[in-house]
This record gives sequence, C-alpha cells and structure tokens, in this order.
Amino acid sequence: MAKKGWDEFEIGAMLRSFDGSIDDIAGTRQEDRTYSENNSYKASVADWRLIKPVFNKDYCIDCQFCWIYCPDVSIIARDKKMIGIDMDHCKGCGICVEVCPTNPKSLLMFPEQAEDEAEIASWPKKDEEEA
Amino acid sequence: MAFDKMELRDVEVWDGNHAAAQALRQAQVDVVAAYPITPSTPIVEGYAQFKADNYVEGEFVMVESEHAAMSGCIGAAAAGGRVATATSSQGLALMVETLYQASGMRLPIILNIVNRALAAPLNVNGDHSDMYLCRDSGWIQFDAFSPQGAYDLNFIAFKVSEDHGIRLPSIINQDGFMTSHTAQGVTTITDDDAYNFVGKFKPMNDMLDFEHPVTHGVQTEEDWHFEHKARQHSDLMLKVSPKIDEVFANFEKLTGRKYSQVECYDMEDADLCVFCLGTSVETAREVATEMRAKGLKAGVVGLRVIRPFPFAQIIEALKDVKAVAILDRASPGGAPGAMYNEIAGALYNTEYSPLLSGYIYGLGGRDLTKANLVDLYNELQTNVDAGKVTTQLQQFIGVRGPKLSFL
Amino acid sequence: MSEIKKIKNLKEFSTSADRFEGANLLCPGCAHSIIVREILNATNDDLVLSASTGCLEVCTAVYPYTSWDASWIHIGFENSSTAIAGAESMYNALKTKGRLKQPDRNPKFIAFGGDGASYDIGFQWISGCMERNHNMMYVVLDNEVYANTGGQRSSSTPIGSSATTSPSGSISYGEKMNKKDMMGIMAAHNIPYTAQVAPNKWKDMVKKIQKGFATEGSVFINAVSPCTTEWKFDPKDTMMLTDLSTDSLVFPLYEVIDGKEWNITYRPKNVVPVEEYLAAQGRFKHLFKDEYKYLIKEWQERVDENWAYLQRREEARV
Repeated sequence: MAKKGWDEFEIGAMLRSFDGSIDDIAGTRQEDRTYSENNSYKASVADWRLIKPVFNKDYCIDCQFCWIYCPDVSIIARDKKMIGIDMDHCKGCGICVEVCPTNPKSLLMFPEQAEDEAEIASWPKKDEEEA
Repeated sequence: MAFDKMELRDVEVWDGNHAAAQALRQAQVDVVAAYPITPSTPIVEGYAQFKADNYVEGEFVMVESEHAAMSGCIGAAAAGGRVATATSSQGLALMVETLYQASGMRLPIILNIVNRALAAPLNVNGDHSDMYLCRDSGWIQFDAFSPQGAYDLNFIAFKVSEDHGIRLPSIINQDGFMTSHTAQGVTTITDDDAYNFVGKFKPMNDMLDFEHPVTHGVQTEEDWHFEHKARQHSDLMLKVSPKIDEVFANFEKLTGRKYSQVECYDMEDADLCVFCLGTSVETAREVATEMRAKGLKAGVVGLRVIRPFPFAQIIEALKDVKAVAILDRASPGGAPGAMYNEIAGALYNTEYSPLLSGYIYGLGGRDLTKANLVDLYNELQTNVDAGKVTTQLQQFIGVRGPKLSFL
Repeated sequence: MSEIKKIKNLKEFSTSADRFEGANLLCPGCAHSIIVREILNATNDDLVLSASTGCLEVCTAVYPYTSWDASWIHIGFENSSTAIAGAESMYNALKTKGRLKQPDRNPKFIAFGGDGASYDIGFQWISGCMERNHNMMYVVLDNEVYANTGGQRSSSTPIGSSATTSPSGSISYGEKMNKKDMMGIMAAHNIPYTAQVAPNKWKDMVKKIQKGFATEGSVFINAVSPCTTEWKFDPKDTMMLTDLSTDSLVFPLYEVIDGKEWNITYRPKNVVPVEEYLAAQGRFKHLFKDEYKYLIKEWQERVDENWAYLQRREEARV
C-alpha cells in the first residue's frame, strides 16, 4: 500500500474493515463483502510459502477438517463443500494435509513452483497398508 | 429522560471536588471508570452518589487500579460515549501508560487531576509534580485556579475534546486540598443550560456501530508511527487553540464568565510579573494589588491552558514587562523549572527580553504566603533597577535551612 | 437473548462466514488463529473484541492492515480485559439511555490475551473484571511462554521447559516452577462459567463457547495453543500436538459452573503417556537425557494427580 503523508489518513490510526456500511457480516460471504483497502483480506502472504498444498477433489469427502483447522482462513468451503484453497492467504503450514483423513489424501504438499495439474495427474494411489 | 434534575441555587458553596462532580452530572457522563485516591476521590464518589440518587444515568465502574480506570475509560470511549474520571499523584503515575494511548487513539476522555505531590517521601498535599508528569502525553490540559474554574472548565473541556475536528482528551487540573477541599462560592449553571452547552455526545469511529466495524490501537512501526504522531501534534498545535477560544467565547455568552488561555491580571502597564498556576494565581493577584498601592507596577499571569502551550499569547502577555518571576510547584529534578524553560523558550527568539528568574515553591502542599510574594515582587524590582537578574536563576522559596539557589 | 447458532456437525459449521481474515502475520501453523476462528464462528451475533499485546495483537493489526471484521481494540499488554469491560459498560449505559445505533443487536464482548498477558502482567485486571462480573468472555491463548518477545518464561510455563529466561544448560533442566493453576484461580472468583478448551476438540470447544455466550456475566476460557516456534515442532504438526496435549491429560478439558460445579468434558479413550507429549517438542528435548529422566516420571505423576483431583472435584460438586 502506498505510504501516505501525515495529513492523508484518519485520525487515531483507526482502520475500517469495510468500505461503507455492512449490515450482517456473519451472514455475508467473503466474496460479497466490501472489504476496505486496509483489510488484510486484500493483502497476500503467498510469498511466505516454500511449499504449498494442492487439492485433489477426486478424493475429498468434504469432512471439513481442513476448513476448521486452517489457521489462515484459506480453505474455501461453500455449501458444505470444500471447493479450493485461497492461495493469497495460505502460508504453507501443511496442517490441512496432516488432518486430511482420506486415503489417498485429498491434499498434499508440493514445492511452491510445482504445477498443480501435473501433480494431480500423478497423485499417489491408495495406501493399502494404511487401509 | 428518566433521571431527576437538580435544582441549584445561583451560588452554591462547593469545594473543587464537588464542583467537578456536579459538572460530570450535568454533562450526563455515560461511563465513569474510577479508582479512589486522595485528594480526588470525592469527584467520582460524587458521580456515584448522584447515580444512586437518580440524578444521572450512566455506568459507574469502580475498578481495581488507576491503570484499569483509564483502561476502562478508553474502552468505553472507543465504544462511543461520554467518559470521565479523576485521579491524583501516584494514581496518575500508574495511569500514565494509558494516557498516551487515549490521546493516540484520539478518544475524548475528560480526566480531572487533583494535583498532589509524588512520593517519595509520600505526601497527599498539593503540588504540580503530577501535572508535569503528563505534560507530553498529547492531552489538552487546563488549569483551574478555584472551585469555580474546576466547575466551568469541565464543561469547556467536554465541548472542546468531543468536537469531531479535535477528538483529543482533556485534563482539568485543580490544586489538591487548596481547591479540591476548600469550599467557596460557585456560580452555577442550570442543568438544562449546562447540558445544552455541552451538547449531546456525537459518536465517531465508535465500536458499537455494528455496521461500521473499526480497529483501534494498531501497531505502527518506523514506516507509519512518525506520521501518526505528527498528525496528532499538528492537530494540537493548529486546531485546538482556536477551538478553545471559540468555546471560551460561547461560555462567556452563556455565563458572563470570561476565560483566556493566558489569564492576565493588571498586566496592561506592568513592569513586574509573577507567572504561576493553580491557587497561587489568586494569592499573587492579591499581593500584586497591594504592591501597586506601594508604587510597584505589579501584575500576574496565570496559565489557564497548559497544553497546547499558548506560545503566542504568552509572548503577547509578557512583551512589555521588565521582569518575570516564573513559579514552578514541582521539584525540577536536576534542571531549571519546567515552566521556566517553556517561558524562556517562548521569549528567546523575540525582540522582548524581560529578566527571567525561576522559583521552586510549595512542594508537598507548603504554603506560598503573601510575605513570600511581597519579597518576590521586591526582588523583581531590584532586578529591574539593576538591569539584570541579581540572584541565581533558580531559587527555592519557603524551604527551611540555608538559602537554596542554583544556576 | 439471541438464538444460539446451530452447529450440528463440521459440515454445518463450515458454512460460517469468518470474521477473522488471512494475510495476518501469525507464524505458519499458529494455533492462535484456529482458536480465534472457532470462537468467532460459534456465533452469528455482533462482536466487540479486544486483544492484549502479544502475538495475536501484533500480527493482526499492523498498520495499515487489520485482520478483524468486527470492532476491535488494543490498548496495552495488561488491559484487554478492562478495555472490553469499558466497552461493555458503555453498551449498558447507551442501552439504558436509548442511544444505541442498532438497539436490536446482541453483541458479544470478548477479550483475548496470551498467557503472559493473562497469568502475569494482566492478572489483576482480569481478576477485577471477573469479580465485577462484567458480561464478557476472557480468552487466554495459552502457549505457556512469552512467544511474541521471543520465548521467555511466564507463570504458565511448565516445569522442565527450556525458555530463554529459564534455559536448560549443562547444570539446569530449565524452568523450575510448576504452571500456575489459572483455571482454579478464576473458578474461585465464583464467576458463572470457567472452561478449558482445545481447538482439536472443536465440538467441545464450540459447545463451551456457546454456553459462555449464553451466560449473563463473566466467562473465563483457557485455550491450549501449541506454539510451533517456541514449543519447537514442525508447523504442520500443530493439531497433532493439540491431540497429544488433550489425550495425555496435560490439558484436561473441563468446565466449572458458578465456581462450584466441576465437569470433565472429555475423557480420552486411550490416554497417551505424558512422555509422548514431551518427546514431540524441542522445548523438552533435554529431559530425555539420563540425568533428567526422573523429571518425566514426575511429570506423569503430576498429570495423574491433577486428573484424579479433577475427578474428585467433579464428584464432590464443591
């Protein structure tokens, strides 16, 4: 964000979460919110990652363990379905992979520069021992 | 409204504490979070009693320390309403951390400080050590010289602080015991007039506006902190002073009582000036009148607004004077008195160069006697006659033992 | 009283719209934000929040960004409790005076603090708020160390842990003091509700938080928050560490109602030896030297004793 001069911001170092008025925040999905430029939702920590989660929906059972245990609000769940990962906010901690109960896992960590489609194409098979 | 109004006589006999408590009632303060400390306790006890007797609606939160008192005030003010409290001395010292946070967050809290010495050694009486402790805290700071001032300045402070162009907290100082516990005639304002003067509280960036969530108390590091502090200082320097003058003028229209940022007494043609704060101003005025009768052209300047420091008004008040005695009622801790330094700083780059001498007096509630002030005016006249300061620049007056002077 | 949000299962819970945002600056794998999310998502009511100085605070409100979608305030290290108590007092005042902008809401007042802010520097402020029974919830994010300042011991740091100010060394096993019993102290305030929670047991946690929200008066929550940085484990293992903490009974999950009625809310089917919990963390690594192995035994005995004590409290109903 541009560095403003001393006379260019609101007094008291106060920040607003949204532009304008928002009536029911808990009832408004992220994509429907009018986030202000000061909301960290508008920022990215993608450059923190050395490794990243890749999501293979073929094996996902929508248990939502990844959703609840994601520290970075980066598992996108809509209508009780896991639909993807918010790669602007994911820090690559790998918790989602650890808590994923499917066999094979529906989420796996790969190097940041890996191609998602290629990794999904060569996804590990079911681990018979574990099963 | 569900609470009862109070019928006041035109003139009531109130001490400074009760006068301040009445002002908090009449301003219909929403939240008072407070902790007791001598000599300020009766102010918040007063609010609690008014609430118990249904003369005010609001929340009185008796917390477990002065730090918590101001912490609660900050939370309440950020939530969006009228907030006030009171403290003194050690309590203020414990509270100081939060004073900077209140002003930095631009929360219009009103704090009555009943001035008292700082330990050690422990002392419950009045001096200005606590007043000086928060000099740089970013608060607007007023000084009452009497119970009347303690009453009036509360209304004025709410009006200035809560203005959306200002949004800075205010301190109203009054001398411990000499003002706070000394009953005098106080000309009152009716409940309706007082509340109408202060006006309804207008929230701004209030946490309880659920449709506009706000984040208060952020962290700013080297890339933003300086700008925020600069903004606050700029508002103190440029916006507050004209607003105070405007509110003083409106208050005079309502009550006939005239306040000025720098209160001048017999200064039009004065050669000699005593510059002081608090109850000493009234004592000095009496002595100045007596010195006039003896042929000395004596005057008094009392500082009504300590912050923002009324630089230009002080120069104006002192420009034609030949000698000024600057009285500091706080142990200077290895330096010239703070007020001495500020006055010297105001005059230094001007074409005016009255002879300045500093005096440390009245620590821990030691009386400043009329005899002390007579000596002081005579000493100023000696300086004028000699064309220079004939003593050291800093002298202690009213202290036992060998004469103490420095610099 | 507002309706309690229906959260039958995780799928239903996952329809929540978070009011805490990513791109905050917490470490990858930090349990703080998992706890915060579970708490905030436990209600759809409006929220008024505060945080004491600490990891959560410095990582979620660094100008010019905020990660909070509800009103939030930070004052200092010691006073998030009193800050929110002040806001709650103003709410009550404005409600009485008919000046609330949206009078039909049922806001929840929540203060967060780390164990340093809560067990140590802010202890008095919390005690004051609880004693006055403000209608608020105080949540400790208990990672047993001053993590934000780089790993100094707090009065929550357990014995044998290596912290920067109580380091293990050639002649020291690290921290010498037992963890302070904050739950017991808070319960002794006879506040309506006190509970220990862990984010792995989300159902238990959400139930307690909702119970807390439905309570008139003060609620104290102690939440175990495994710290990848200071407990020294891989960020991906945060939930595994949380499981170990609850299943070894190092962090038993229980609640106390009105300071009197103690209820254990989670009894692990298979209790894990404390040794496994300790072995998973770098801060206890030195305890596995021969000369300190007796401490591991003592750890187990202490945990067993505490568990027995909790069961006696539960049974005794006093």
